[in-house]
Amino acid sequence: MDRGYVALVLNAHLPFVRQPDYPSFLEERWLFESLSETYLPLLRVFARLEADRIPWKLNLAVSPTLEAMLGDSMLQQRYVDWLGAQIELAEREVARCADDAAFRPLAAMYHELYTKNREDFSVLYAGNIVGALDFYFKKGRIDLMTSGATNAFMPIYRDYPEAIAAQIEAAVVSFRAAFGRSPSGFWMPQLGWYPGVEEPLSAYGLQYTVVSTRGALLGDPTPRMGSYAPVSCPNGFTAFIRDVAATDAVWSETNGFPADPVYRDFYRDIGFDLPLDYIGPYVEQQQIRTFTGFKYWAITGPGDRKVPYDAERASLRVEDHVESFLRDRVLQAKAAAAHMGGREPLMVAPYDAELFGHWWYEGPQWIETLFRLAHHTDELQFVTLSEYMRANPENFESVPEFTSWGDGGYGGVWLEKSNDWIYRHVFKMIERMTELAERFPNESGLRERVLNQAAREVLLAQASDWPFLLRAGKSGSFARKQIEDAVTNFNRIYEMLCANTVGTEWLTRLEKRNNIFPSINYRVFRRKR
Amino acid sequence: MNVERLNGLSIDALYALADKMGLDLPIELERVFVVEALLEAFEEDSEERKASGDAAVHIEEKKYSGSELDEIDASLDAAPCIESRYNETVVHVIARDPEWAFVFWDVKDDAFDELRANPAFSCLFLRVVKESVPEGKTAGSFEVVVGEDDDRWYLHLPDEGCSYHVDLYARLGNRSRLLAHSAVVRTPRALMADSLAKLDADAATLATLSGLASLEIAPAPEHHPSRILGGFDE
Repeated sequence: MDRGYVALVLNAHLPFVRQPDYPSFLEERWLFESLSETYLPLLRVFARLEADRIPWKLNLAVSPTLEAMLGDSMLQQRYVDWLGAQIELAEREVARCADDAAFRPLAAMYHELYTKNREDFSVLYAGNIVGALDFYFKKGRIDLMTSGATNAFMPIYRDYPEAIAAQIEAAVVSFRAAFGRSPSGFWMPQLGWYPGVEEPLSAYGLQYTVVSTRGALLGDPTPRMGSYAPVSCPNGFTAFIRDVAATDAVWSETNGFPADPVYRDFYRDIGFDLPLDYIGPYVEQQQIRTFTGFKYWAITGPGDRKVPYDAERASLRVEDHVESFLRDRVLQAKAAAAHMGGREPLMVAPYDAELFGHWWYEGPQWIETLFRLAHHTDELQFVTLSEYMRANPENFESVPEFTSWGDGGYGGVWLEKSNDWIYRHVFKMIERMTELAERFPNESGLRERVLNQAAREVLLAQASDWPFLLRAGKSGSFARKQIEDAVTNFNRIYEMLCANTVGTEWLTRLEKRNNIFPSINYRVFRRKR
Repeated sequence: MNVERLNGLSIDALYALADKMGLDLPIELERVFVVEALLEAFEEDSEERKASGDAAVHIEEKKYSGSELDEIDASLDAAPCIESRYNETVVHVIARDPEWAFVFWDVKDDAFDELRANPAFSCLFLRVVKESVPEGKTAGSFEVVVGEDDDRWYLHLPDEGCSYHVDLYARLGNRSRLLAHSAVVRTPRALMADSLAKLDADAATLATLSGLASLEIAPAPEHHPSRILGGFDE
């Protein structure tokens, strides 16, 4: 074996949460926390690697909903306001912990983090995070991918080719608007693949995706290179295969690197630990306890007794974990290469981007160290999926099976007793949207606006995040309301169109609130023949 | 979830939470015992989830930062505020995994009234029809009687990698009336498409190195027997 290849694939996604009718909104914090703990820290990692001329490459899928929120001026301003409050809290924490030798440096660490975030976001990037990603895309460092328009779990909608096409088309159009070129890679939300989806993906010019190991191994016929090389569908669409060992090293909640006792604990947060009198101004509506991001304890071990977090110790452990990751990949590649007839093995390691930094606080440092140490080895090389595909155009022909990366490996996370009620409504919306698109194929002006808004509501209702949250019991009533709002809005539009009356004031308000996909074309829902 | 967060909830919310978690607690139990039972249930739930094998979605939960509203949310199993049906006669089926499909249906009010007025009407039932018949598997159908108030069921399907459709019928004496017909769905495979004998040694080794054992995937057997459930009409 000359060398093994590793492709690091990050999926950056958050559901569309934008509530202009409220001065602040709890779930908008998901974006603010991800910006503060993942996206901005990762951009700093990229900048340092560039400055030190370290070769680095990765794939990054940016979901259209996240892309829309990152580009939204209202959310950008709210983020700056939120950062202001975080810095104020950090200042108070620095004062509160002044006499505490263990916590003083941690309070200072958070003060530095939020101050740096404000400086980078407001000054360095002028709020344009998408532009910052585009910079590395154009340099060839990041191979950007798109994803389902609203993160729909596609296998559930396989009987509705119009809905699948809408998820893909809206994503491709958004990507072009943001990055000025067409995407070649498509992240299947939740790695939810089904045989046949390669056809609409190819029809929109997409060339590759990543599938679960289970999906590939159950593919027809069985892949001859296991997960160590992608497979090509008969239409030429390429499916890269998730590597179990590489992903488990990071994913496993119990044995993965992030579970190491010296790393920062995710759950203990001053938002729940300090008196409301003190923490009130920094939690929701001054009274609902939430995570603040100020976490002072190390994981330590099971139970509530924790030791204070030691950032220097954690930093040393990051190096150990990177060395372990690289060593294991070299061994894995050597074992596989002996059976690959001269082809060099590829290990694809896909992860949710937000977990680097947000959940695993040391995650961005792990990525930085990974590239720095890999630079010194000849046995492994990082590649992007596009780059690998160009160098290896011939692959074994196989069609992966319907699978996902959820519990059980199929659709059980998004279709179970807590969330199955959703599909009666969403299927009906899709059928009615198709009916509307057939009845009104050539509309313009106000009626076109109405139809486009109806199409947006259908897409928003398809988001897999809501059934996911209903199952997880997190933000359940919020998730339920997102579905109900989309159903209600759509049905109102449907009735308005059937009665030939349009409430322009209501429509304008709705367009302003759910302002995602400005270039959507409702005709994508016309029946596929 | 910890004791402090549970202590912040009202006793009604604690009982609602216990109901939601499937705990059958005596009424008017002292608060401290309710909290204790909930903590135990959460601990068990957490262990089960950790043991369930695929961590990806558990990790994904972390990006949705929590608030104490999560517990309050969990205690409020509010009915959706939207109409629950569309007054149409329809049946849909969604394949969930190799063994289970979700079926939901409705019967238009007028049609249902007409059925109920017919003295021969006895019940509604679903007929599950296996469509595609790969080598070694058997075609057939089976029926499931459903209640008049039911509108969804999870159905166990006998064969992985097969296509099915579901018909909704009304039973009228010795006759059946077809009310609605679903699209065809295919259950995904649980076994590899090829048997080990069909793979060469290198391919079999690479499949193993890819995590076949940890994913609990078995190769297709040499002669794939049909798995037939009782009640399946041959």
